[in-house]
Amino acid sequence: MLAFRGLKRIHSVLLQHGNTTYKTIPAGSLTVTSHVVQHKDDTKLLKMENPYKEPQTGCLLCNVTVDFKNTQLLSQFVSPHTGRTYGRHITGLCGRKQKEVSKAIKKAHSMGFMSVTHKHPQFMKDPNICGIKHLD
Amino acid sequence: MPRYELALILKAMQRPETSAALRRTVESLMQRGAVVRDLENLGERLLPYAITKHNQKHSRGAYFLIDFYSATNILSGLLDHLHRDVDVVRPTVLKKDDQVSSSNCCGPQQ
Repeated sequence: MLAFRGLKRIHSVLLQHGNTTYKTIPAGSLTVTSHVVQHKDDTKLLKMENPYKEPQTGCLLCNVTVDFKNTQLLSQFVSPHTGRTYGRHITGLCGRKQKEVSKAIKKAHSMGFMSVTHKHPQFMKDPNICGIKHLD
Repeated sequence: MPRYELALILKAMQRPETSAALRRTVESLMQRGAVVRDLENLGERLLPYAITKHNQKHSRGAYFLIDFYSATNILSGLLDHLHRDVDVVRPTVLKKDDQVSSSNCCGPQQ
């Protein structure tokens, strides 16, 4: 009996000295918050927003409505020699706007608003926004 | 809210004949129970390519845009009627969507 009590005392003493990282847990609960507290202290300095982040630029037609009636805008994405629509790697538009432009061009073709095989000569002098240089 | 848009290309005619053709078109629309909201004149210009219609080759045309609200079942009848009209070169009815809001567009939002 005495030995038992002694063991218990040693056990409790060992618990107190050895396990300093663990808080004294009350009888009912079994939370493991102590781990989280320790980690927070370590990572406080490392978490930060990227200071070299550049402002996000949109494509050319961000916030510009694309319409089949606006043939001047549509003609800027069309070849002056053949009237063919330029691909995404040339226009530099985002996915959604490229689709809108190509759909509008096709609509304009079928409705008789825009020519299919050439670019309107009135729009030949427009600034070149597509990344393509013609050997003129 | 405009439900449909009629992009009408009429033959290049004198003013009274053009107005008569437009009147006919709008009246046929109203007869079928459509409510005409807007009629825009986009001018008379050279067609982008020669259009052959009613055994005639057209090189010039008058462009008009008619916004209207209507039921869905009248459209096929309306297009049929417009194709038969001698003065009309090319009629096209489009659904009008105003929900092209630029939310979630790539890039910075102002």
